[in-house]
Amino acid sequence: MSITYLEAIREAQAKLLRDDKRVFIYGQDVGGTFGGAFKATKGLAKEFPGRVLNTPISEDAMVGTAIGAALEGMRPIVEMQFADFSSIALNQILNNAGTHYWRTNIPVPITVRLPSGGTKGSGPFHSQSMESLYAHYPGLIVMTPATVEDAYTMLIDAVAIDDPVVYCEHKYLYYHLKADNLPNDGMPVGKARIARSGRDLTIVSYSAMLHESLSAAEEIAKEGFEIEVVDLRTVKPLDTATVLASVARTGRLLAVGESFPWGGVTAEVIARVSTDGFHLLDAAPARVNAKDTPIPYHPNLWSTHRPSSKVIAAKARQLLRE
Amino acid sequence: MPQVPIIMPQLGESIAEATIVSINVKLGEKVAADQEIIEVETNKAVMGVTTPCAGEIAKIDAQVKETYPIGTVLGYIEASEKDAARFAKQAPPPPQREMAEEIPGRSEEKSGNGAHFQIDKSAVRTFRVSTQGAVPGGGLPVPAAAKGAGFLSPRVRARMAELQLTNADLAGIAGTGSGNRVTIKDLENYLRQMESATASDASAIRAGVADAMRRSWSRPLATIGSSVNLDPVLTDRKQRDPKPGPALYALRALALALVENPAASAKLIGARVLQSNTIDIGLAIEAQDGIIVPIIRNADKTSLADLTTKYEELVSLGRARRISPEMQSGGIAAVSNFGTFGVEWGTPIPLPDQTMILGLGVGKKTPRWDESKSEFVPATEAQITLSFDHRSLDGGGAGRLLKRVIELLENPAKL
Repeated sequence: MSITYLEAIREAQAKLLRDDKRVFIYGQDVGGTFGGAFKATKGLAKEFPGRVLNTPISEDAMVGTAIGAALEGMRPIVEMQFADFSSIALNQILNNAGTHYWRTNIPVPITVRLPSGGTKGSGPFHSQSMESLYAHYPGLIVMTPATVEDAYTMLIDAVAIDDPVVYCEHKYLYYHLKADNLPNDGMPVGKARIARSGRDLTIVSYSAMLHESLSAAEEIAKEGFEIEVVDLRTVKPLDTATVLASVARTGRLLAVGESFPWGGVTAEVIARVSTDGFHLLDAAPARVNAKDTPIPYHPNLWSTHRPSSKVIAAKARQLLRE
Repeated sequence: MPQVPIIMPQLGESIAEATIVSINVKLGEKVAADQEIIEVETNKAVMGVTTPCAGEIAKIDAQVKETYPIGTVLGYIEASEKDAARFAKQAPPPPQREMAEEIPGRSEEKSGNGAHFQIDKSAVRTFRVSTQGAVPGGGLPVPAAAKGAGFLSPRVRARMAELQLTNADLAGIAGTGSGNRVTIKDLENYLRQMESATASDASAIRAGVADAMRRSWSRPLATIGSSVNLDPVLTDRKQRDPKPGPALYALRALALALVENPAASAKLIGARVLQSNTIDIGLAIEAQDGIIVPIIRNADKTSLADLTTKYEELVSLGRARRISPEMQSGGIAAVSNFGTFGVEWGTPIPLPDQTMILGLGVGKKTPRWDESKSEFVPATEAQITLSFDHRSLDGGGAGRLLKRVIELLENPAKL
């Protein structure tokens, strides 16, 4: 049996709908026979009538309604059609959902699914990676699963968590990533995973960039260097301990992310390692991000805009020789 | 008539400024091209500033005894149109610069994105930056990210601190990092050899000497040497009881020479010269596992007989390991008699808190030219060397001191 990243998400949602009466799915075109823009909810409306609901094209209203439902004891999963559109619901997510528990002692257990990242030709409003933006705000948990297994278990964990979770699923991985079967349970939320053991350099990455990083590591292994690759899994909370332990082994750090370069996850990783693990560093830490421009439409431009295994390998080589 | 500026020229590598010594022209005076009109002094020499072209002195902005950076306009010459046109290109850059149009941080990735939006120039505020005055204090600017062979990463430094290593311990490592710096891997590989070789703890004295010599070596040290006829000393010695060794004669000679020339042993700390009030000189003694240098206080006021008694005391104390750190501190110079090992000459290293050390080699029967007899005669000669901190003492000063020491040694009645 072979299951894709997208199917894992669908299976997780099916399991959630089945096991927990409080769960419902709320998004644009998720219901009926359409099953969502990426088919993440295909067949679910039929299997769970009244639990997979279509919304108007208003992200603000979608999240606002979900927050209300959550306050009334439900566990909504909001599907944004593209992560990029979630900016319309920013006030709801950051201010209403994020601060509610702090202000009223009542948690808001919503899960907002963001199809993130680019694919060829999707352009500036269908390709964004917004984890850095959401991670910046207190009160939110931001998940960035990179594997089929994590996509499954972490979505189930997300709904179980009482706090608002921004679940960044990567569109590029939807159909490209496959696994043999789904696990019963996964690593705890907030713990990073050592995706590849190494000793000469640590690459810290997440989501689709994990696979580009692993590819770069394989390339460089031929040159006699072993790169350790860390999969953050959740960017908020960020597993600093695992990252520091890895840098303690290797002495060199390269943070890789698909979001824009100013601030963000890679900057946060480097800031933490520089502050708490300065004496572990044998060379200045480095990072690779997308370019500081809006995401291009043209496939040729797009492929140079986001980090590729080639770019990551080049940076790693430079860092190894410092 | 157009004016051509007289500019403070580049007077030498790493010279950043010069002081006006004299201005040898007046306003209105007619000058030729390449005529020396101003004398300036740098930290290396006195040099001349010459006219860029022929003409008439129109303006002198410089003042005697004032210091100006390289590139400063010192005055103006009224010159012909032709000359002025030639030098217009060589005029100093305009003193004000507009703010860069490129927004910093745009080209974040090294591979370059080449995309930045158009700026409405009228909306950009300009900031005036003065380029006059160049780099005060001199020296070439070093890029902030420059790392070279000497760069020690935080990790390497942490490991060194852990093992109490110093830069001197890293000398044996050929670094493989950028600019041949020592990486953590290089260090760990190097330390691995400690596992295979037989290792034992260094004694306290060994570690102490290692630290002292490492610190002393961080200064620019130089050595001068000459030969001394030891026969007068050997003759004088026969008449004495107890008998002082040649090292004590040398110590006494050095003490008296320093009384005459106290500046020779002055210590330089930063830009201040520190003079000691007393002539305290150390004498190197070999203890069990290292050299210790007890200091003989007021050596100029201690007779040779008393020096001998003092020395005997110190030797027995040294054997009993009773020479305290206080007895070894202070002092302005030291004497090392490696001649006792048969060594002819050496370049000893001064103690880290002293500026000089006198080294005495073994006496050997050597032919010496006797001018009065016009022939070579046998004499007991030894090589005597003076190693010194070249920051505070030069060859001339050291040479004169050594010459005086030799004079006194060859006339032991004066000691």
